[in-house]
Amino acid sequence: MVNFSDLNFIFRFLPIFLVAFYLTPVRFRTWTLLIGSLLFYAVGDLRMFPALLAAVVVNFLFAKAQSGEKSKSLLFFILAIDAGMLIEFKILGQYVDKSLLPIGISFYIFKMISYQMDVYRGKVEKDASFVDVAAYFCMFPQVVSGPIMRFDKYLENTALREKTSLPKIVESIEDGLRFFVAGLAMKVLLADHLAMLWNDIETIGYESISTPLAWLGAVTYSLELYFDFWGYSLMAAGIGVMIGFPFITNFDHPYGSGSVSEFYRRWHATLGSWFRDYIYIPLGGSRKGEARTVFNLLVVWLITGFWHGITPNFIIWGLSLCFLIICERLFVLKKFPAPLSKFVGKVNVLVLIPLTWVVFAISDFELLGIYFSRLFPFASSGISVNQGDFMKNIGIYWTILLPSLLLLIPRVFDFWVNRRNRWVFNILWIILFWACVYSLAGAAGNPFMYFKF
Amino acid sequence: MKILKKCPILIGIVVITIALSIVSLIFKDTVYAGYADKYESGDIPLLALALKGATDEVFPWSSEESEALLPEDTQGPDEGKEITEEVSDTEEAEATEVGEEPLEFSDISGNDISGNDVSGNSEDITYEFTEVNPDYFTDAVFIGDSRTVGLSEYCEPLDTRATFYAKVSLTIYDVFKKEYIKTDDGKIGLEQALSENQFGKVYIMLGLNEIGTGDNEYFKNAYAEVINKIRELQPDAIIYIQGIMHVTANKSNVDKNFNNEKINSRNASIAELADNKTIFYIDMNESVDDEDGNLEAGLSSDDVHLKASSYERWYEFLLHNAIVR
Repeated sequence: MVNFSDLNFIFRFLPIFLVAFYLTPVRFRTWTLLIGSLLFYAVGDLRMFPALLAAVVVNFLFAKAQSGEKSKSLLFFILAIDAGMLIEFKILGQYVDKSLLPIGISFYIFKMISYQMDVYRGKVEKDASFVDVAAYFCMFPQVVSGPIMRFDKYLENTALREKTSLPKIVESIEDGLRFFVAGLAMKVLLADHLAMLWNDIETIGYESISTPLAWLGAVTYSLELYFDFWGYSLMAAGIGVMIGFPFITNFDHPYGSGSVSEFYRRWHATLGSWFRDYIYIPLGGSRKGEARTVFNLLVVWLITGFWHGITPNFIIWGLSLCFLIICERLFVLKKFPAPLSKFVGKVNVLVLIPLTWVVFAISDFELLGIYFSRLFPFASSGISVNQGDFMKNIGIYWTILLPSLLLLIPRVFDFWVNRRNRWVFNILWIILFWACVYSLAGAAGNPFMYFKF
Repeated sequence: MKILKKCPILIGIVVITIALSIVSLIFKDTVYAGYADKYESGDIPLLALALKGATDEVFPWSSEESEALLPEDTQGPDEGKEITEEVSDTEEAEATEVGEEPLEFSDISGNDISGNDVSGNSEDITYEFTEVNPDYFTDAVFIGDSRTVGLSEYCEPLDTRATFYAKVSLTIYDVFKKEYIKTDDGKIGLEQALSENQFGKVYIMLGLNEIGTGDNEYFKNAYAEVINKIRELQPDAIIYIQGIMHVTANKSNVDKNFNNEKINSRNASIAELADNKTIFYIDMNESVDDEDGNLEAGLSSDDVHLKASSYERWYEFLLHNAIVR
């Protein structure tokens, strides 16, 4: 049920929660949000539920202790606890048993760290109540997989603080629903089908795919990850809007970027800005000379790699992105003539980024090597390769690939955003919703890819 | 009314949800009885019954008879999704059946078949499995599911010689029902294809996708019907019933349908259909199994299908286990 694209979530939890939420008097709505969120989490991961509760209580108390004189050692202490908890569970989950990794821990710990830093910096009000802090940490639209919203955005919620009229409530539910359905469609109609092509490639065995299919695979996996996570983020943001939060942008058309550095400001933006505000800038950012900047970037990307997983491929993934970003910073954007730097930046985004996703996708080193030997078939020619495999798969999957590629163009999605309350789109969205539900009813569930991080 | 105008999508969803829920509720115990378990157990919301039904082409106006013939789950591993549906009480039924399996057949259903004498009991002609050269397959047709599709795609010597009437997620129940064979004039059914073309050998490997459906007896009867029909359409062909290929231990140990115990018991029942004169049972598992009787893990990356580079083993097995009359 913790999966937004689960029928039980869509037809049971969400509607019941919304009704309960808005029937609760404003004074107690935060409690409804908190209790609903705790229920939501407990259903998904009862065994690791105490870990969440403990983290919430400890973090609240430490932040409370900062309300008088700010203490740096206190801050470091709680940050060490938070980071230690995250690292420990990541190691347990990787080397002992997958189920020991609490759902969403990467996300809620990052929220807690940001809260501690913001309290220390005096950015949030001093005496936030327990229920507010706990609801912020645990709120079900974000607890599983982000977006990593900041506490000041949490406070912007109107439904938790003022009486809202019925038309206003209905309006926010309707608008949230629009984004929810858009995200659901990306997940169910695009990502889940792209996943089938990626699985087919796995089934064939990387040593036996033709080079065109290897490249199609890289594109497919990139698109799958994008629509899976963008879709999730839209659904999460949409639910947030339904209960009065501001819309949180987590993806801002990353593939429209002109460089890798820009790509990562627009891809999973709440994670990127988290790293910027709580790691990169405290380390000195880019104000302490080139050498220090390079070092700071290295730290950020190593942690980004580790955050995604502690298998070597994630570290290589992070380092290769770091390398690209440093190259862009030192040469491409600085020393190259404008047209060339523009061109190279685009190539980086559209060609090199998909290759980095292949590294992200394949955790086994030997298999990764084989995949790259098919992408760049200089050394080997593969085993039992069927040269017709590319056209065959294009024939099957073009109906999914084409709309996916079209949606990479920022204007396509923005066109809808700006006209989303037109009648045509309303009708289309009802159809989209039922197409998704029909597809979900016929299939066994397919969880979001980012749940495992 | 003003408020209603503000939320057309919400209304569209709520109204249809209510309508579907009512339909599901009314027909819960009749046409949708096959799915009701999952609702009762709380796994799916009520309205999913109507939608699940529609996926399997079961509608409120479908007669109950046609519903009874429908496989409980039409999705196999070919769809890339795992099946979690209950298979009700068929497992117990099977367990007893394996025990009752006639002894005389067990010697041809095992893995020790290749090269052995499989003489028929009544006739005096004895056929032996021998090695043949690749051109043996020029007048052969292969009928099967995704695994046979894979054979056609990744075994060039076979693909260039033999004919393939294979389709992803094909089952023994729909092999004569679906129009799945592509020709220049569109798709045709197996019946038409086999009436228009004559073959010397017919190889069949079916049974994995439908392994969660019905019991062994039900499966065997359906298989026998298919064999009879092929016999009618192809009077001179050698028919090879191929045992269903195993899955890896990884899959077999956790899946209550797609496991090798079940595959072996299905194989044992279809092996009984061989008469060793014109219909033969062959089991390629010996060429791909590990010592525990599971599909060798290194040969498959999804635990169900062979990797492209592994089809060679299947092909070699066929080359060494052929009947020459």
